[in-house]
Amino acid sequence: MGSSSRPRATGHGRQGWRDGWTRVLGAPAIVAGVFAMTFLLALPLSIMLRGALSAHLGSSLAAETAATGVNYDWWQEFTAQATDLGTTFSPSIVGFAAVLDNVSGVIDARTPIAPIAAALALYMTGWAFLSGGIIDRYARQRPIRAHGFFAASGGYFFRFLRLAAFAGLVYWWLFAYVHPWLFDHQFDNLTRGLSVERTAFLIRGGFYAVFGALLVATNLVVDYAKVRIVVEDRRSVFGALSASLRFIRHHGRQVFALYALNTLTFLAVLALWALMAPGAGGAGLSMWLGFLIAQLYIGARLALKLQFMASQIALFQANLAHAAYLAAPAPVWPESPAAEAIR
Amino acid sequence: MGKGAKVRGSKGPRVEAPKVRAAACEDTSEAAPRTASLVTASLAPLRGQAVLTGEQLDSFVSNRAGQAGWSAKLMTTPRRFAAAFLLCGAIVVAASARQQTPAEQPPAGEPVPASQTAPRSPRNANYEIDARLDDDAKSIKGRETIRWRNITDQSTSELQLHLYWNAWRDQESTWLRERRMAGLFRPPPADAWSSMDVTALRLRDSSGDMRDATKEMRFIAPDDGNARDTTVMSVPLGRSVAPNQEVEIELEWTARIPRPFARTGWVGDYYFIAQWFPKLGVLESQGWNTHQFHAATEFYSDFGVYDVRLTLPRRFVVGASGQQTARTDNADGTTTHRYQGEDIHDFAWTASPSFVDLSKRFESPTLPPVVIRLLLQSERRGQADRYFAIISATLQRYGEWFGAYPYPNLTVVDPAFQSDSDGMEYPTLVTGRSRWLTPDSSQTPEGTTAHEVGHQWWYGIVATNEFEHAWMDEGINTYATARVLEEAKNPNRVESRYFGGFIPWSFRDIPFTRVDNDRLAGYRLNAESDAPWTPTFQYWPSTAAIISYNKTALWLHTLEQRLGWPTMQKILSIYFERWKFKHPKPADFFDVVREVTGQGHYWFFDEVYRSSNTFDYGVQEFRSERLDDKTFTTTVVVRRYGEATFPVGVVTTFDDGQHVKETWNGQERRAVYVYQRSAKGATVQVDPGHVLLLDVAYTNNSRTLSPRGQQASLKWSLRWMVWLQDLMLTYGFFV
Repeated sequence: MGSSSRPRATGHGRQGWRDGWTRVLGAPAIVAGVFAMTFLLALPLSIMLRGALSAHLGSSLAAETAATGVNYDWWQEFTAQATDLGTTFSPSIVGFAAVLDNVSGVIDARTPIAPIAAALALYMTGWAFLSGGIIDRYARQRPIRAHGFFAASGGYFFRFLRLAAFAGLVYWWLFAYVHPWLFDHQFDNLTRGLSVERTAFLIRGGFYAVFGALLVATNLVVDYAKVRIVVEDRRSVFGALSASLRFIRHHGRQVFALYALNTLTFLAVLALWALMAPGAGGAGLSMWLGFLIAQLYIGARLALKLQFMASQIALFQANLAHAAYLAAPAPVWPESPAAEAIR
Repeated sequence: MGKGAKVRGSKGPRVEAPKVRAAACEDTSEAAPRTASLVTASLAPLRGQAVLTGEQLDSFVSNRAGQAGWSAKLMTTPRRFAAAFLLCGAIVVAASARQQTPAEQPPAGEPVPASQTAPRSPRNANYEIDARLDDDAKSIKGRETIRWRNITDQSTSELQLHLYWNAWRDQESTWLRERRMAGLFRPPPADAWSSMDVTALRLRDSSGDMRDATKEMRFIAPDDGNARDTTVMSVPLGRSVAPNQEVEIELEWTARIPRPFARTGWVGDYYFIAQWFPKLGVLESQGWNTHQFHAATEFYSDFGVYDVRLTLPRRFVVGASGQQTARTDNADGTTTHRYQGEDIHDFAWTASPSFVDLSKRFESPTLPPVVIRLLLQSERRGQADRYFAIISATLQRYGEWFGAYPYPNLTVVDPAFQSDSDGMEYPTLVTGRSRWLTPDSSQTPEGTTAHEVGHQWWYGIVATNEFEHAWMDEGINTYATARVLEEAKNPNRVESRYFGGFIPWSFRDIPFTRVDNDRLAGYRLNAESDAPWTPTFQYWPSTAAIISYNKTALWLHTLEQRLGWPTMQKILSIYFERWKFKHPKPADFFDVVREVTGQGHYWFFDEVYRSSNTFDYGVQEFRSERLDDKTFTTTVVVRRYGEATFPVGVVTTFDDGQHVKETWNGQERRAVYVYQRSAKGATVQVDPGHVLLLDVAYTNNSRTLSPRGQQASLKWSLRWMVWLQDLMLTYGFFV
């Protein structure tokens, strides 16, 4: 791309970012839907943990201080005897530490315990299912109603499952081989003789950047493959991946500009959360207020995740199609031959 | 307890500390490493005495003024630079005039008599060591002369020596066998191993001549018979050494320095060198007490005078036990540092060209002054005030509580990253522990530093046998450190670390309390792993610290809550004063408790010292039912769930605010109390003041008829739910 195309390129990035938000905010039901999914999947495990906490506290006076603030002595006593979910009940759940704990857990390849891993698998499957409907809705930029949304979700689900299987393989390779090679082998080798922690952290930071770049690259290819599967009604996952790579290669500046804009937005949301995240707090109204603020943060994170999708759709359509273009007709429900026969 | 003034210029967390005043313009840290080394060179013979003569000061100023790079960072013009030094000089001259006469100061490069006072200890194990570091080969070649006097009432015909570094010669040493057995072993890199080989050994015989006994030495394994363990060496003397007779022995040895094992070794250009020379065991009336090096134990040795010459490349800044008395630059680019220490029982040293070399003077109206030297990693230079503040606070409190620190100086080393030398104590030399990033409210570096400085009293001066009774040092010190930190470290909050442990986060809602520093949480997990009376080297390696540190701190704190701090302080101060420099045994401590309190407390020591039983009292039943219009029957059943016993209070509170307090001896399995009162029962608590800190489950110690468990669990499960939602979103990146 020549220098003359630069303004247009970054302009597409900014335009994509704005268009993305227009599309996300124009379909609030989707934000509400994924929020509901996130909430409802977390709820049963939270209820289970509550049962464990409640059983341990019983009618003890320790609950008084645990309710009004932090009873760290009780907390440690609880975790000392806890199993499964209870083992995750650490101070890291409080406030912004949760973000640090979770991001650190992923980038440091910490394996979640089985019940959490199951919930995460279910959650990601849920996203894989809904992605077809979400992309379809954002690409069309007009209401498709619930039946249209779920018809699209179902219609693309198996393609997305195949894509997820491919992406899963790549991610597995990254975490099973590249991560230990970088963070165990290379990091250990490079820092073995180091007596300065700051230098070791810079090296680790560099490795985080490299590993993060690999994750982002994979993420981008898979994201645009999803967009191409839906917008162009592609049946072949490998064809879509190949097309995605071509698109990124030919519009790299726009793609990365958009990704950078979205990442900056993400960091802004995190910064805001770091300032606002409630601490332990008390029971009663302040507890619910704190929970409400936290749900607003979760909602913002979800909207931002949808913005990544919507803005990438907008960018793709602005370059290779046109706004609201989809190769496939709007899905109708039911559309399977079996259902037709019933009719 | 007099509280001192704040450390001047202290930043960050409030740490109450006694007055600390600069001994000299001591911050050499702005210099490049070479500059720092040069400045240290000019100060080296002086630091021990913490004073400068006028001439030395002039020389010092002119030396430092020549370091342009250094001055550029501090001052914008040479005039300001000189003015600042003159000001510092004035302060230092004033200090020196008050403390010591200029005539006592030796010129650089010449030895200084290190004699401080009359002997405080038996001084029966005296060492002269001359050692040279080979920086390229990571090895030490040394020669030592030991003059040992038999202070027991028995004769001996042998000497026994520790060769600690042979514990990392291969995987078959007892140290590594035990580590492997306990699952604590990670194979080290090939160049990590160490060794200590005695190449020559000579004994002065009865005629006064030196006799070569190299071929007579042999390895022994008195604890486990492990023939592959070469950490203890026996040398037959060829004659019987009667009580009060003296033996002189000369050894030459070579040692390969390990990559860090057990807080000794090298990383990069940082060395921390401990347990590094052939060292005598302790002869007791029952014979030699020379244990092999075990995974769960530290050390035991007799007091003496150490006169040590260390020769290293000139670029290194050196810190060591004792006081530096001379520094001689050699023609081959090396420098010989001479250190002398009296009434100490070990000698360790450290070297790095990158140390930021700082010193301050601890002063207190009630205690003798101490020159504190801090060898700081340059990346942590911003933590100097925190280090000095907590060192001073510990010197002040331990000094006032237990007895004055008797030495004129103390060196604190801020260890290098990955050096594994953090958190360790040696006579007049300790290592702290810190990280590059550490919030003001975090207990790093204060926690470990206070602990290691505190060791000077119990490990350094009282000097118990850590092979057998580690609790007498580690446990008493953990207890006392927690007390210091409660008073001196504020705020002090729980911290977690993320991203490979590099990024800290301090929880503003979660204070780190004294009981947390007593280490209750760790104790709870392994409360029954060993009984403290078991010799420490026989503890299970992975849980040994929990018994030595945690359990002891908790039972001492429990005893304090029962007897009161004034009594406890009296016990410990009498114990310290009576047994300093004498290697007391557990019975000696218990005797002091009996003497001070007038009671043996045998029942208590039977539970906490001679047993591994756990304490757990709780409320089994609590109900309050209406008997008639005016009366409620309130029934309380309290229970002893654990095997260990302790008298506890049982307090029942009624709706009208009245309390009934019972004293239960805690012996039976349960006790039942029934009350008929006009008010309904509200709450019951066993041990409401949490006197018994060893209770492994305190949550069950109380019951209320208006429970808030549902509210508390709801609150915390909602917090946890947000964490889980955030985790889901984090993983949502992948789809």
